[in-house]
Amino acid sequence: MSTNVQTLGTTGTRASEGAAAIVIAAFLGIGLVFLAGFAPASALHNAAHDFRHTQNFPCH
Amino acid sequence: MITRLLSAALVAGFLAAVVATGLQLALTSPLIIAAERYETHAALDADDARLPIVLAHSSGHDHGDGKAQAEAAWQPGPGLPRMAFTGLATLIGGVGYALLLGAAMLACRREPTPERALAFALAGFAAVALAPALGLPPELPGSEAAPLATRQAWWLMTAAATAMGLYLILIRRAAVTILGGLVLIVAPHLAGAPVPPAETSALPAVLAAQFAARSLGIAFVFWAMIGLAFGWAWQVFGHRAEAPARA
Repeated sequence: MSTNVQTLGTTGTRASEGAAAIVIAAFLGIGLVFLAGFAPASALHNAAHDFRHTQNFPCH
Repeated sequence: MITRLLSAALVAGFLAAVVATGLQLALTSPLIIAAERYETHAALDADDARLPIVLAHSSGHDHGDGKAQAEAAWQPGPGLPRMAFTGLATLIGGVGYALLLGAAMLACRREPTPERALAFALAGFAAVALAPALGLPPELPGSEAAPLATRQAWWLMTAAATAMGLYLILIRRAAVTILGGLVLIVAPHLAGAPVPPAETSALPAVLAAQFAARSLGIAFVFWAMIGLAFGWAWQVFGHRAEAPARA
């Protein structure tokens, strides 16, 4: 019985928790892709240079 | 949920980066290094041009006054450091794409399995690799190109419009949304990618063609690995999290 209550509780919070997870993952993902593919700082550009060319991010 | 998503994305990004880095180092990095000899044709004489890594390789393609700036900017050393940074950048990009893949799948209420995640990953490949490449083909250093900001803007617009178009066509699947999706996918190409200047580059066309084909091939494998690995890791972390609750 106690397990049932627990399961219902987690299902109830799942929607909002899921939405938060999606938003966090999306922002983090965009941030990382920006860092690897678009960040204009020349040190970052030079470090990621070959990756940017290969993955067809506009480079230079 | 967030832990499961982040863990699965880290695993998928890492596995895809291992494969893609190997392919990049074997197939595209040698072409980039070969092309850099042509990039500095005006600045260096023949002897210097034989060096595997050349200077004057920084923001902007203005070879003249950009050179002093380029020498000041940090760049990884030739050989192993450069390969390591290529691997690191691939890892960061891979985890980033895996996070976006996971977020997109959950937002579309699709439980990630390897098969479904692979399908989403192929859509991701179409959106960020294939569609932008139609207007802006993968370029070697030293190719003539339109200004960076306009190319980045077109790239982002095309990737976003293609992703939204695929969503409207494949997920929503109503007559109106399919029509809207087709319009979104075609519109950036009708508007047209930024046009490079008419000057010809010293870069041999064979190198550029090889690079474009290999680049798209690697991007395809990269995305396929991200999808398969994300679906697999999502299932693994799910079972692990559920196991204590069931016991």
